[in-house]
Amino acid sequence: MKNEFDFIIIGAGGTGLAAAMYGARLGLKTLCLGHSHTSELPIGGVITTTNIVENYPGFIKLTGPELAEKIEKHAREYELVTIKEEKATEVKKNKSGFTVKTEKGTYEGKTILFATGTKWRKLEVPGAEEFENKGVAYCAICDGALFKNKTVAVVGGSDSAAKDALLLTQYAKKVYIIYRGEKIRPEPINQKRIEQNKKIEVITNTNITEIKGEKLVNKVILDKEYKKNKELELNGVFVAIGHIPLSELAKDIGVKVDKKGEIIINHKDSSTNIPGVFAAGDVADKPFKQLITGVAEGCTAAHSAYEYINEEKVKVS
Amino acid sequence: MSVTVYSTPTCPWCKKTKEFLKENGVKFKDIDVSASEKAAKEMVEKSGQQGVPVTDFDGEIIVGFDEKALKKAMKK
Repeated sequence: MKNEFDFIIIGAGGTGLAAAMYGARLGLKTLCLGHSHTSELPIGGVITTTNIVENYPGFIKLTGPELAEKIEKHAREYELVTIKEEKATEVKKNKSGFTVKTEKGTYEGKTILFATGTKWRKLEVPGAEEFENKGVAYCAICDGALFKNKTVAVVGGSDSAAKDALLLTQYAKKVYIIYRGEKIRPEPINQKRIEQNKKIEVITNTNITEIKGEKLVNKVILDKEYKKNKELELNGVFVAIGHIPLSELAKDIGVKVDKKGEIIINHKDSSTNIPGVFAAGDVADKPFKQLITGVAEGCTAAHSAYEYINEEKVKVS
Repeated sequence: MSVTVYSTPTCPWCKKTKEFLKENGVKFKDIDVSASEKAAKEMVEKSGQQGVPVTDFDGEIIVGFDEKALKKAMKK
């Protein structure tokens, strides 16, 4: 009985933790597993790598780690919630539900929620792997402080890239944003901040083709001239070119994913094509991905799991 | 035993590393590399890289939150 649960959540980011809290409110014995097979993020998930969060109602402005801590604490308030910092390595269907294996144990669940999130898409150009952590970085909030008075570039054109660039201006003397498209596309509030920040220079319609250095990065090569030069001298390259959904475990039990690898969910109830299996947050196929939307999907999934279990009980009786 | 953790206040893995050491009763010196360029330089020189956290465990350099490496270093 110890390892039997009503609701097993794979992933303990904001989405998974919110689903755990809601599952417990609905009386579900809930297990929330800290990692999926390839995610290395700590409990709290990707929001722990965001510097400032200003779009989560109830909190005008706080850091990502602070918000994650509050959400985790909220989930831990419930006795029915067990959070384990274990990596799920295998999910299988069984007669009455699902079996989830981690490197430390085996758990049985009547329902499963994939809140596995994503991993950073790596920059695939010569030098990117060689200089990872030697100037090439994926987490501005973690490593930005090491580039005090240096010149850095952020690769990408999303709101996340813009926020990384704004954060890096706290440390670096110069921040380039290098984007392959015509126009970067941050939220309007961040677009305005970028335009007003004298340290930031945006280079559009341009790709990095190579990262060079000795022990540490000292320049990048561009695919077209910028200020009459294809070489751009800098000390750091922060990569923010998107994410890859972590849906492998879900695919193993036949859950349908789209072309991007995102789990296809019914947007009404967070269900997947497999009865008893739900998905929520960044791994699911909703176009607008924010912690606030992931949390909503997670809570919806918890409610759907509750309804599914009750319906199954009726079938049995 | 001399243990130093080079970290930044906002890095989640730094927090994890420090929590792990505390849970295991390891006393350590916590150096905030965002507050001191000298310390940041020292960390880069010791580890040959620019990512935090870096743990100097009795001269053994452990990069990132590496539970296995930390446990191994504790046993020595």
